[in-house]
Amino acid sequence: MKKTRDAVVIIAEAQGDETAPITLELLALAREIQLAQPCKIRFLMVGHGTEATARDLARRTGREVVAVEAETLRDYNTETCLEILQEHLPGLSPRFVLMGQTPRGMDLAPRLAVRLGAGCITGVDALCVEEGELRFSRTAFGGKISLQMAPARSITVVTATPGAFTAPQESVSSQGSVRLVSSARRSARSRTLGIIEAPRQERGLSEADVIVAAGRGIGTRENLALIERLASVFPRSAVAASRPLCDQGWMDYPRQVGLTGATVSPKLYFACGISGAVQHTVGMQGSGFIVAVSRDPHAAIFRIADVCVVDDLEAFIPAFLALCREE
Amino acid sequence: MKILACVKQVLDSESVFRIRDDSDWIETEGDPRYGMNHPDEFVVEEAVALKEAHREVTVDVLTVGPHSASQVLERAVGMGADRAYHILTREEGYLAPFTVSSWIAGFAETRNYDLILCGIMAEDDMQGQVGPMLAEHLGYPCATSVVRETCRPETETIRVEREIEGGRRELLEIALPAVLTLQTGINRPRYPSLSNLLRAKKEKPELLDPARFPMPEDREQFLRAALPPAVRRGVVLEGDTEQKARELHGILKEMAFL
Ligand SMILES: Cc1cc2nc3c(=O)[nH]c(=O)nc-3n(C[C@H](O)[C@H](O)[C@H](O)COP(=O)(O)OP(=O)(O)OC[C@H]3O[C@@H](n4cnc5c(N)ncnc54)[C@H](O)[C@@H]3O)c2cc1C
Ligand SMILES: Nc1ncnc2c1ncn2[C@@H]1O[C@H](COP(=O)(O)O)[C@@H](O)[C@H]1O
Repeated sequence: MKKTRDAVVIIAEAQGDETAPITLELLALAREIQLAQPCKIRFLMVGHGTEATARDLARRTGREVVAVEAETLRDYNTETCLEILQEHLPGLSPRFVLMGQTPRGMDLAPRLAVRLGAGCITGVDALCVEEGELRFSRTAFGGKISLQMAPARSITVVTATPGAFTAPQESVSSQGSVRLVSSARRSARSRTLGIIEAPRQERGLSEADVIVAAGRGIGTRENLALIERLASVFPRSAVAASRPLCDQGWMDYPRQVGLTGATVSPKLYFACGISGAVQHTVGMQGSGFIVAVSRDPHAAIFRIADVCVVDDLEAFIPAFLALCREE
Repeated sequence: MKILACVKQVLDSESVFRIRDDSDWIETEGDPRYGMNHPDEFVVEEAVALKEAHREVTVDVLTVGPHSASQVLERAVGMGADRAYHILTREEGYLAPFTVSSWIAGFAETRNYDLILCGIMAEDDMQGQVGPMLAEHLGYPCATSVVRETCRPETETIRVEREIEGGRRELLEIALPAVLTLQTGINRPRYPSLSNLLRAKKEKPELLDPARFPMPEDREQFLRAALPPAVRRGVVLEGDTEQKARELHGILKEMAFL
């Protein structure tokens, strides 16, 4: 009998000993796929000391978890991980392989796709079904447009934007199952030397009620003073930035909000000169109320803002500050 | 040591564009501005800095794009790259990362580069796929999101720091030849110099026809471009600057933020 590719395989990520949130978000995407095209959902976990996390995942989801335990991944290594995935994935007969659009997913997905002869759709934030066919949406042009993609191969590797899918709150009737496999593969071409821990989190950001964030649109370093003055009119406020400002050395990295920076959810997020690329918005979309100032009426930030100010911030912020002073 | 830097031309993010009637891609309105993909400025800087730090390093730059894309090659040579190559496509539009990476691999295959540098992501299609796919086509190891590198040509290795989850960094030693994708902020890109720009004007890039490389079959299908849905329906403030400021002030006061 010909074996059909009938599974959605989620590559699980761990965060410490627990399942990383993105892995459960991927389960939501997998279930949307399953609704349209009946299939099995399986998890594949690759790493060292995977058993505890694998059991946690099986218990929480009631599903089948295959954990490849690799002494060689005591220190995570992409090349080794790829070889192991390449070895174990085909046996799970995947039609879709799901990962997060996280540093790990971005690192593995395109290469895995080439190795499996699969398609690759990255940064997916929505799925829709047209006449039974699956359509994946992914953003482009800084979030101004979305590209609709369809699978064209028997296997497609998909990465999902963190935060785009909501982890299902399901009651689990089954215990799930864990299958442990071990692997001794090791890549000879790359060696992990160690991990450098993150600089201490900026406490000010997590504690602030109001965050005023500056983006590349502030134009000059001098305009940072304007942002600081704006922040100072709000009690319990802090100043943050998008990545380009930190790259330029205008602000310290611990103040960066986004995928590779802090995740914040203040009561008010005031974005100044930020276009709203998804790598920024994943870090602030949970904010209570969002005000955005950009001179580009089409900026993606306006899609998630509660109040949209289309204006030049060099004119608008002083005008706003003048009103605050009047009082 | 031979380095290849891959650079892409993209539409400036503030240019006005709309989705074409056939939904096949975008079309620009007014006077569109194009420039080098922001992450690729770091790619050229890193390559040129390596050339300055080591002996006998040559830096080639390559772009895949329409005629106008030669602009980014000129900039790269202006920053100090040695030679420019242009795989000339007919028009703008969607090109699959698998196709672009296959062509770049076809170009690089016979040229024996020790190090190939790509940006972390193109600002327009935001795929983040070309670099890692290129590594696979060539059978090279690859590190993505690199924020620091120390190249050791004498031992044919490179040490890199790459950004991983939660602001942590992973330290790796990789055998050359290798592909790296560089994260923004790895360096401070320089401005092109006048003398290099003059050289760039004189020495035209070598043009290559994509037809000389195999055209891979689509691995996923691009259907159409569309406007994404709004997540929240926010109010757009109307009037002049003064009126907008007043209105926002009123809203924030009412919500007790002020
Ligand atoms: C793997 C990866 C991780 C990333 N991680 C992060 C992250 O953690 N955080 C992050 O922020 N980014 C991150 N990025 C970068 C992200 O993709 C965007 O490039 C970045 O967020 C853009 O920053 P910006 O909005 O400040 O700049 P731009 O996109 O350049 O936007 C500037 C905005 O200001 C407007 N503007 C210009 N002048 C004015 C003016 N005078 N008045 C008013 N408005 C004006 C413009 O119209 C535009 O809307 C990451 C990218 C990658 C590939
Ligand atoms: N058309 C192109 N020409 C040259 N390099 C490219 C091209 N497209 C992508 N790249 C390289 O691959 C990186 C990632 O692009 P992408 O995978 O499209 O997000 C870019 O930063 C470039 O270094």
